[in-house]
Amino acid sequence: MARKRVDLDRRTVLKGAAAGAAATIFAPNIVAAQSKVIRIGMPTILSGRVAQLGTSSRNAIQMEVEKINAAGGLAGRQIEMVIRDSKGQPQEAARVSRELVNSDGCEILLDAEASSGSFAVQEVAKDLGVLVMHTNSETSSLTADPKIRIPLAFRSCRQGIHDAVVSGAYAAEIAKAKKINRWGTCSPDYAYGRDNTQLFVEYLKHFYPQAEVTMEAWPKLFQPDYTEVITRVLQSKPQALYSALWGGDLTSWVDQANIYALFSQMEVFAINMADYTVLTAVKNLPKGIHSATRYIKTYPNTKANAEWGDAYRARFKEYPTNWSWENWVGIHFIAEASKKANSADGKKIAEAMRGLKIDCPFGADGTVTMRADDQTVIGYAIGWGTTISGEPYVPEVTGAKWDTILQLEAEWKKRNNYT
Amino acid sequence: MLTARPNLARDILIAAVALALLLLLPYVWPNKMINDLVIRVSAFALFATSLNLLVGYTGMVSFGHGMFFGFGAYAFGLSMQRLGVSIPTAFLITVLSSALLGLVVGAISIRLKDIYFSFITLAFQMLLYSTVIAWVPLTGGDQGLMGGIPRPPFLGVDLSIEAHRYAFAVTVMVAGLLILRQIVESPFGYTLRMIRDNTERASFLGINVFRAKLTAFVIAGVFGAIGGMVMALFVSGAYPEFVNWTMSGEGIFMIMLGGLSTFIGPAAGALILSVLNDVITRGTEHHGLFLGAVILLFALGLRKGVTDFIADWLRLNREAGSRGGN
Repeated sequence: MARKRVDLDRRTVLKGAAAGAAATIFAPNIVAAQSKVIRIGMPTILSGRVAQLGTSSRNAIQMEVEKINAAGGLAGRQIEMVIRDSKGQPQEAARVSRELVNSDGCEILLDAEASSGSFAVQEVAKDLGVLVMHTNSETSSLTADPKIRIPLAFRSCRQGIHDAVVSGAYAAEIAKAKKINRWGTCSPDYAYGRDNTQLFVEYLKHFYPQAEVTMEAWPKLFQPDYTEVITRVLQSKPQALYSALWGGDLTSWVDQANIYALFSQMEVFAINMADYTVLTAVKNLPKGIHSATRYIKTYPNTKANAEWGDAYRARFKEYPTNWSWENWVGIHFIAEASKKANSADGKKIAEAMRGLKIDCPFGADGTVTMRADDQTVIGYAIGWGTTISGEPYVPEVTGAKWDTILQLEAEWKKRNNYT
Repeated sequence: MLTARPNLARDILIAAVALALLLLLPYVWPNKMINDLVIRVSAFALFATSLNLLVGYTGMVSFGHGMFFGFGAYAFGLSMQRLGVSIPTAFLITVLSSALLGLVVGAISIRLKDIYFSFITLAFQMLLYSTVIAWVPLTGGDQGLMGGIPRPPFLGVDLSIEAHRYAFAVTVMVAGLLILRQIVESPFGYTLRMIRDNTERASFLGINVFRAKLTAFVIAGVFGAIGGMVMALFVSGAYPEFVNWTMSGEGIFMIMLGGLSTFIGPAAGALILSVLNDVITRGTEHHGLFLGAVILLFALGLRKGVTDFIADWLRLNREAGSRGGN
């Protein structure tokens, strides 16, 4: 079913009804607003090749909305999620979002679309004037570019520029120590793959100017066979290889590169490796692949994170994904801002959310902040480490320094005229 | 045209009544979802009807018509974003540039027949699709045209207001269908039917088949692009999916669902497919399975579109009526 609601159980309903009845007697003018549920519309991808984006986002939201509702919902109004499939088509994302607001009565949008869909949802939010939280779109320009940014739109997930700075700094450290000057890249041939790789190289060179890229391979998105790409990498013998492949593509690529013993011949930096979707799907996970943490329950190495990862796994029989924690952050920012504003009104929540800092199991220091000037989340945990073949998969993680990220991000924004 | 068509007045009357009804709809039934549906159906109706000019009237099964829909959306969006022109100017740019595209693609494609024609149109579409994906600085690649399409007011029409956007979309749709109707009912339209039924005969009668087919291809392309423009206005952007082959596939489905032997069939098909899509995606994630089943039912079971059945039924009734009169 595309339309899932986080329902209340009977007791909660009874309690709510009793409270409602009491409120009706004592404060008849408040009850009209407060006894009503608040609907949050969630357009996402629930079918096709990236359906896991939607299902793992939905799972996280389901878990968290139950907690938020148990704690009183948004200013006393219980949250009801209306979740719809956009099939990964931006025009469908636009249609579904409009429908969620216009006919399903959703007052807030939680946009769990991939990048292109999120730009479409942004337009709808601009048109209809509703609060939107983008939970999965990592494209930096969505919040960085003032031409695209709107006052009611926020982002609760990682973004490309942060990842690039962290990756460049980490890779440069390794390169310095091991004198790795000749680099190759192998990333999917579409906007994300190109942007991500270009930014990585830029920051690698920033931290380690001796690095040079001697080969580039651009396999197609969703390509099933990487033999040609792998042999080309092996022939040109770079000392290290960077890849922005992700999901099923990365799994197939690692499996196929294993046959050619590629991992014993060079250092491999695969930014999207440390996500359970990939770690658990690869047949023989090679030791020593460098990866950024997308989501693993051991980083940040805190009780809160481990407990959340285990609770999710116990309930859904699989580990959470990168998208799961990003949705956690999104819905909790809305809840905390609503608490602060003591209102479920989108505009008041937006006002309260700017600059808000909340406790978060996925924060680098146990908190994350919604930066006021561009309404995007900062302070989340990012780190790099190397893989081992079984749990915990990436035992030692080097955490990123957020002051470096912020400083280089500011320079990047200036270069792109985003300020 | 030697004389004015006797049915011209009737067509204009029908169009005027349809337009009036559609314009009244938001007042009679104020439901934003229905308004959105009508806008999208307006875009698809132009797209499917223009495709039927090729498929149904000329017998040219183009698998690449989505190329024009997507091109229209991008041409309009880019004109508005990059050139900062007014909406009528962007409309004109879209019409002229899509006509040019139709001329070039058509001049090459229509030399081929049957399945070869279908495939070369598909190839051109995929060429445009790949260009859109690869030319990131211009088109935004797979993320589409970002940042919204500006909608400055013109002649008292402000398309950033929903009611104006609705009125604009239905007016463009009704006007477009009326023009297409005049084309298919004109001697030129009958020439196309003759080409469809017997190309040799047409050329022996002195008809320049190439020129007629090319004209039809260009006209279809222009109206397909206008459909794309209406869609771009609705979503305030243009996306590679508009140029993808699936768009052409949907156009063919619309024609099959609605029926290709009546003029209004493809527009009815656009409505049916849109409603089916909206209803099915609300209810299930396995929408492909359900939509596929419906299409199979039409293709294998019914072998006709909805309006074909209605037309047959009307004809039978009329015949029965006239027999009864005797």
